[in-house]
Amino acid sequence: MKRSKWIWLVWAVVLLSYLVPYTLLSGVAFWYGSFLFWMLAGLAIIALNVFITKDFEEHSND
Amino acid sequence: MTESLIWWSIAIYLLIAIGIAIMSRQGPSESMSGYFLGNRQMNGFVSALSYSATTYSAFMMVGLAGLTYAGGVGALGFEIIYFAGVSLVAVFGPKFWAVGKKFGYVTPSEMLGHRYNSKHVAMAVSIASCIFLIPYSAVQLAGVGYLLQGITDGAITFTTGVVLATVIAIFFSYIAGIRSVMWTDSLQAIMMIVASTLVAFLVIQGLGGFGALFDTLATEHPQSLTVPGPGLFSFVTFLGLTIPWFFFSISNPQVSQRLFMPSSLRSMRHMLIGFLVFGFIYTMVSVLWGFSALAAFPSLASADLATPTLLASEFVPPVLGVIVMIGIMAAAVSTIDSIMLTLASMVSRDVYANVKPNVSEKRQLLVGKFVVPVIALMALAFAELQLDLIAVLSVAASSGLVAMVPALIGAFYWKRGTGVGALVSVVGTSAFVLLMYATGNSLLGLPAGVWGIVVASVLFVSVSLMTKPHQASSDAFFTAIAEELGKKRRTTTEQATKEAAA
Repeated sequence: MKRSKWIWLVWAVVLLSYLVPYTLLSGVAFWYGSFLFWMLAGLAIIALNVFITKDFEEHSND
Repeated sequence: MTESLIWWSIAIYLLIAIGIAIMSRQGPSESMSGYFLGNRQMNGFVSALSYSATTYSAFMMVGLAGLTYAGGVGALGFEIIYFAGVSLVAVFGPKFWAVGKKFGYVTPSEMLGHRYNSKHVAMAVSIASCIFLIPYSAVQLAGVGYLLQGITDGAITFTTGVVLATVIAIFFSYIAGIRSVMWTDSLQAIMMIVASTLVAFLVIQGLGGFGALFDTLATEHPQSLTVPGPGLFSFVTFLGLTIPWFFFSISNPQVSQRLFMPSSLRSMRHMLIGFLVFGFIYTMVSVLWGFSALAAFPSLASADLATPTLLASEFVPPVLGVIVMIGIMAAAVSTIDSIMLTLASMVSRDVYANVKPNVSEKRQLLVGKFVVPVIALMALAFAELQLDLIAVLSVAASSGLVAMVPALIGAFYWKRGTGVGALVSVVGTSAFVLLMYATGNSLLGLPAGVWGIVVASVLFVSVSLMTKPHQASSDAFFTAIAEELGKKRRTTTEQATKEAAA
């Protein structure tokens, strides 16, 4: 799979960030509820971007 | 925290920042791209810090902490969706950069005008950006005003804080254009991330540790740990807040203009990743501030007081409190000076130079420099109106700027998009959003933040299909991207050839 296609995984994380806290986690009033979920979503976004932009390093500047 | 400690700290901060701003100069820049884009030679590290400082305004430390205080964990979700939206830089960044280099664009609006072969598109985008971003700057200024007033118990008045921030912002932009802005931004970003993390750490320790903080929240404010929670974040409100912010990195010209500036795609990558790491820490810290304030001071009169109260509390040593307070003021300044420069470049490049053709670069630059303080004074006037909830007003700006998003996406992905389509989409959506806010911000139960992107897309696509695209300019645009992004580092290609031969 082409590296840039992984951006779709980012959009999937976004979708889950809307759905999960408002459904599955809406009754979990602890730190391991929506707080942890969104925190992990943030970390996943960083990791995905590191991976997706790896090719930028190979681009010629001139 | 005494008044004299605050004034001395502001003086010391200014001395260091002015020193850095002066050192950032690189001879007189007489071109538009020199002054407004740092000659497209900015490195990744400074770009990352400055991008962070520009994006994370006073809104973060005052507004997001306040939003967490009032609405609970939904504030974190809101910020994480914005944060995920910055991934759009990974998709659009290289394309912006490639055409910027090829055609010498200074502003994103100039790019759209050229792509759609329509001066009117460039002018409309510039004017709409001013309409929405000047109030947004005003919100930042008001943030400084509230903060200084709150933390000194009114010894430093709202107006003093607002005027001070305006003067500093004008000054930083004047010293060396974007270069001085980016270097002072970097100072602010480093200072802020260290100091604010330290504050979060100390406050949480003071409240008995992370576990105790969340236990208190779970027993005394259980709703703050879920959405919809205490009621602020109903799903519709959440959508209305997050959709515009998701597109922030391409819809807001003060950050999308940054995509023209890195010296290479490598630098752009460093800018993006650096920003994400910084932004993640900053987000978590702001939210934890809000939660800590809720646990320690549950009955504040206004949510915007969460941060000032926390900084003035016994948990934070006065010197650290002052450093963070200065940092928040600097955060507002670093957002405003970038917005002022971007808007000034748009007004001179896309409005003035289009109305009055054949003006020299030098003349454009002069006009741009004249516009900087005019914009600042307008923002000052808005701030003096003292509008209430900081976060809501700044989101109004984002809802409006969503008007540019379909035209921008179409520029890179839809050859059939036309200048008339882009123009109608930008003007129509801006007017629509303004009308929505003027009439209570609800249509069929949905806010402007949700409607904006729908209206803009429908207008862009339908009007484009009814009109004729300008083939030559879209071909030139797409060819330039393919050519520029097709270049690989020579050594890599050579190596690959050798390996293949072996």
